[in-house]
Amino acid sequence: MSRLFFREAIARAIAEEMARDPTIVLLGQDIAEHGGSYAETRGLFARFGARRVRNTPVAEAVTVGLAAGAAAAGLRPLAFITYIDFLMIGLDPLVNYAAKLKYKSAGQLTAPMVVKATAGAKGQGPTHAQSLDSWLMNVPGLTVLAPSTSGDAYGLLKTALRAPGPVVYIDHKRLFPLGGEVPDAETLIPAGSAAVRREGRHLTLVAHSYMSVVAGEAARLLAKEGIEAELIDLRSLWPVDWATLEASARKTGHALFVEEGQEACGVGSELAFVLGERVPGLRVARLGARRLPVSASPVLEAHALPDAPRIAGAARRLVQAAKAS
Amino acid sequence: MTESKEQLRRLREMLRLRSFEAALLRQPKPGFQLLSRGEEAVAVGICSVMGISDPLLCSGRSIGIALARGVPAGGLLAELVGKDGGPNRGRAGRAHVSMPAVGLWGAHGVVAGNLSVAAGVALAQQQLGTGAVTAIVFGDGACGAGALHETMNVAALWKLPLLLVCDNNGYAVSTAVGDGLAARELTDYAQPFRIPAASVDGTDVDAVVGAMREAVDAIRAGAGPRFLEMRCVRMGPHSTATREARPAAEVERLREFDPLYKYEQGLRAGGVLDDAAWGVIQAEVAAEIAAAEAIVEAAPWPDPEAAVLDV
Repeated sequence: MSRLFFREAIARAIAEEMARDPTIVLLGQDIAEHGGSYAETRGLFARFGARRVRNTPVAEAVTVGLAAGAAAAGLRPLAFITYIDFLMIGLDPLVNYAAKLKYKSAGQLTAPMVVKATAGAKGQGPTHAQSLDSWLMNVPGLTVLAPSTSGDAYGLLKTALRAPGPVVYIDHKRLFPLGGEVPDAETLIPAGSAAVRREGRHLTLVAHSYMSVVAGEAARLLAKEGIEAELIDLRSLWPVDWATLEASARKTGHALFVEEGQEACGVGSELAFVLGERVPGLRVARLGARRLPVSASPVLEAHALPDAPRIAGAARRLVQAAKAS
Repeated sequence: MTESKEQLRRLREMLRLRSFEAALLRQPKPGFQLLSRGEEAVAVGICSVMGISDPLLCSGRSIGIALARGVPAGGLLAELVGKDGGPNRGRAGRAHVSMPAVGLWGAHGVVAGNLSVAAGVALAQQQLGTGAVTAIVFGDGACGAGALHETMNVAALWKLPLLLVCDNNGYAVSTAVGDGLAARELTDYAQPFRIPAASVDGTDVDAVVGAMREAVDAIRAGAGPRFLEMRCVRMGPHSTATREARPAAEVERLREFDPLYKYEQGLRAGGVLDDAAWGVIQAEVAAEIAAAEAIVEAAPWPDPEAAVLDV
């Protein structure tokens, strides 16, 4: 094991995969000499050169379109979207072309590409800080991954760079400066595999990306009052690891779904409903962002989002409501 | 092939396209189609020059291009009406038909949606060193979309082996070119990117072939992207589901630009075609189209369960 920053784990995964697969090409703003907006491509330009590490103009639509077409024609592009908000500009080639390509061509063409997009609120305001995970889960043909640790950032990105079809790999601004253990030996984490971060018997907390970190803090708060939360980090939003969710839900009987994206029509809305169908008697609750734009002010930003005390409060209400009834 | 034989082949191809679409409209349920009538010279001219390994992408007005590119008529007809037996098992229809084995990398139903994708296909050819030229055919309506300008910027910057062919039939559904686009000439759009551009009579198949040859040769030699405007006419409404927006007299006048009729008359005048040769061509095409109609009639509807494959 080595301790790596999240951003370093990303760079290592890309470097290993580029060395293994000469068809991998990087496309994005500021990824070449500059080393990436979050220093997550540092060293790759020097090692792999200008043909394989390509700065693009500030034009997400053509960037994602280039990736989709190049993927269809034999390359394996990794496109960087600095803020996931800007992926809206590139959704047409991703959703209308890449995600449908295998289906609409009856298997003759595929688009093995990765879009790496950075989500999350960290003071950037309304259009640089959203979490749009549930939008992407809505698209048949897309795999959606969202790591929260350095080890997962590494293992999931390697999986994404070998996937048969398009993958959106969502990372988070608040994760880049965090450190974590990464195996020294090459390790892949498959899509559709959640991680149990903490075991507990009273309720299941389900989160992903940076909210897994926050939910971990909430679990520690709850433990002080004798509520033992089991924390599941989804890691993969689509496909969903139903087996892990189901096993935990059967054990605890309560599941709270936490996300930084909007609570209404969010990741938890879908997962809680389906898990409720699979586990009779399961009590579920959701906690996500309020239905507001993200604010530039740190006070307003924080007001709209889940934090550890709010998560703990929602968990407490869920467990206590069950006791009362 | 001698020049006159090649010209007779082009004539025959244009007749195939015209006859094929007539057969499509005779189907019990022809579906939502964008026809190529009046634009056959563009499709045939492009496909006469592109090599089999040169990827061709196009807009949703794809039927003529798909047939000229080499998608078998029976399979294409099945694809268009949604039956199994077409290259995409009825899932794609005319808006998304593809058959990479014959060089058709795909239509795309979103106006301007295939432009950046085509640039990506060209990037792959460049990066993999295949020597292939990628061409994208798009309508005049796409010239108002940002995708064209973003695509030309990157194509010029990276010297991509990409040929941009604007099939200018004069109208985006009901909006005339001059009412939707500020440029005086569509070729002007290529100028800021220093992409060499030419405007071609797209109702003259020989002119299309000539312009295509020059452009494809230059791109293959490494000169970077080119832009061709093909001025043509759409002899019917935008689609089979769209009301004709133009006055009947204007549509009637378009017959004088009919690329098939003009070419037939020209070849006759040049002594390349006579009644007997024309009769043979018509009979051969009629036989092929009849066979295609038989194929589509016999083709099964897709198994509904097959809807879940290849997601």
